[in-house]
Amino acid sequence: MAALLDLLINNPAIILTIGAAVTLVAPRHLASPILLVFTAASAVKLYSLGLGEYGAITLFGEQLTTVRLDMTSRLFAVVFHIAAALNIIYGWGTRDRGQNFATLAYPAAALGGVMAGDLITLFIWWEIAAITSVLLVWAPGTRATYISGMRYLSIQILSGVLLLAGIVLLYRETNSFVFAEIGLRDADGAIKLSALFMFIAFGIKAAFPLLHNWVQDAYPKSTINGTIILSIFTTKLAVYSLVRGFPGQTELVYIGAVMTIFPIFFALIENDLRKVLTYSINNQVGFMVCAIGLGAINGAVGYAFGNIIFEGLLFMALGAAMYRTGTSKATELGGLYKTMPMTMVLCIIGALSISAFPGTLGFVVKGMIIEGAAGFNLWIWLTLLFASAGVLEHAGIKIPYFTFFAHDSGKRPKDAPLGMLVAMVLGAAMCLGFGVYPDPLYALLPDQEAVAKYHAYSAYHIVEQLQLLLWAVLAFAVLVLCKWYPAEVPSTNLDTDWLYRVPGRSFITWASGASRATWISLWGIFTGRLQAVMARIYSVHGPEGQMSRSWPIGFMALWTAILLAFVLVLSLRA
Amino acid sequence: MSDHKPNPDEKPGWADTPGFRKVFLGVLIVSAIAAALAGLNPAWKNPKAHFEVEAFFAFFAFWGFACFMFIVLVGQHLRKLVGRKEDYYEERE
Repeated sequence: MAALLDLLINNPAIILTIGAAVTLVAPRHLASPILLVFTAASAVKLYSLGLGEYGAITLFGEQLTTVRLDMTSRLFAVVFHIAAALNIIYGWGTRDRGQNFATLAYPAAALGGVMAGDLITLFIWWEIAAITSVLLVWAPGTRATYISGMRYLSIQILSGVLLLAGIVLLYRETNSFVFAEIGLRDADGAIKLSALFMFIAFGIKAAFPLLHNWVQDAYPKSTINGTIILSIFTTKLAVYSLVRGFPGQTELVYIGAVMTIFPIFFALIENDLRKVLTYSINNQVGFMVCAIGLGAINGAVGYAFGNIIFEGLLFMALGAAMYRTGTSKATELGGLYKTMPMTMVLCIIGALSISAFPGTLGFVVKGMIIEGAAGFNLWIWLTLLFASAGVLEHAGIKIPYFTFFAHDSGKRPKDAPLGMLVAMVLGAAMCLGFGVYPDPLYALLPDQEAVAKYHAYSAYHIVEQLQLLLWAVLAFAVLVLCKWYPAEVPSTNLDTDWLYRVPGRSFITWASGASRATWISLWGIFTGRLQAVMARIYSVHGPEGQMSRSWPIGFMALWTAILLAFVLVLSLRA
Repeated sequence: MSDHKPNPDEKPGWADTPGFRKVFLGVLIVSAIAAALAGLNPAWKNPKAHFEVEAFFAFFAFWGFACFMFIVLVGQHLRKLVGRKEDYYEERE
């Protein structure tokens, strides 16, 4: 009993889960303070634990490590705590029990996943993350969010099933559940089936190209606060898993490069700005995936840290505008800078940071990835620079421009509520603080040798980055002045989810109708035959049947004689 | 769509005044040119450049401008391929 208690209180993820559970029974108005207190308690526990392995348990004879804190997992654990705290402050006063529960239970699951020292623990938290996060998708309580949530859950569970299959196959190969480097190929260069399953499982959650559209389908349908929370944890848990399982895997360079490119074009034509930011998640995770493939692990995890802060800030600023106006569509926003100046300034800080302007967190962390790409090959390096211009377009310019400037929507809402402003100010302070003084972030990075060689504020890096970004902004100015920048149009843009939402749905409907018809037909044949057999039996054995008749005594005597004769012959032969 | 309409009698906000736009554009042009010229200083060039293109004058400026133009001018045509009316999925689900 003492061992179990020790196991529970020494796991920050369990502390957060308990906090989430308490909100289910506590008075609603106390939910936000309770969530914040448990987040602080978990952070204190994380700090007091220090680096090492904790919570060892034996399950079916196998040793499991429920908490492993090394440099990589600690960085994710730290930023998950920061994000959870900011989200609680942002949504201060939320009274919906389901949402309050998920606000901490979902980050707890992601935290448990990044701290897992073995694959069984990872799998358990992986599935809990799927289940707790869907509560946020369902939070608005509409039919559309219910259907979207079911699609989201199916895809997340599919990822879990693939992960489990990979774990089982890997255990057969290695006789171990330790979550360490897996590698996609064996010594002969052939792809390992176990690794492939896990690679795809991680890829689904990281939203690899063609597996990405659950993000755009589900995230923007959640509540304002729900979308912000969702935007942070699942994809970063997947990034962590790829860092742990497949560092330096060359395939990831190309997958990541594609991820950085294609969302740019979808974001350009998207009218719903929350959806624009979900495409931005794909693009940003692409940078991280690429960095993992390049072996630039500091770049990957540093960028994950930074992205959680500055992309979260953009989601928050847009969420504040949506909270005040009731819409996140570019065609219905604009001109809000007049009455929401603080939100506008904070949004621009987030936009500068995600675009990687010098002096911001984005500049510090993106440089590590671009430098890694330069050591790989010219095309990947040019691709990432291209994608950087794309980030500036959709996240750096489009979000603040269409929300706060562009055409005047005529809306004159008040600035964001206090809780939202406090969370955004803290996020913006980190964007600028870590941008100007990145040493605390550097201290958290796993490869300290690489940190010593990296100089974000070298003159050439500043000049190159300023050239890239300022001339890209100049291009935007030219496009606007020449009226070549496309006007926003209310529309739905088809993406890969169309495959399962339209033809896939039609196929399922057809398959369900066909299987019902086949069943009815087979049942008809079966029951018809059965009735015929029963009729025949009835005709033979029924009251009028041949077998129901009484046999004549002579007939029976004849058969008795035949039987006795047969026995006699047998006896004589013996 | 919003039923809000801008009040025509309202004074334009600071960002909507021609003066601000001119200043913003001026500052942008001057800083962009300054950044491009800064690349001429040998002390501000990457001493461990990986590719020859990095040595070209204002390569990053050119690449940033060209990429942004390409993304917007070419990317907008994607709408013709994938754009549908707003309630496309509502009608089908």
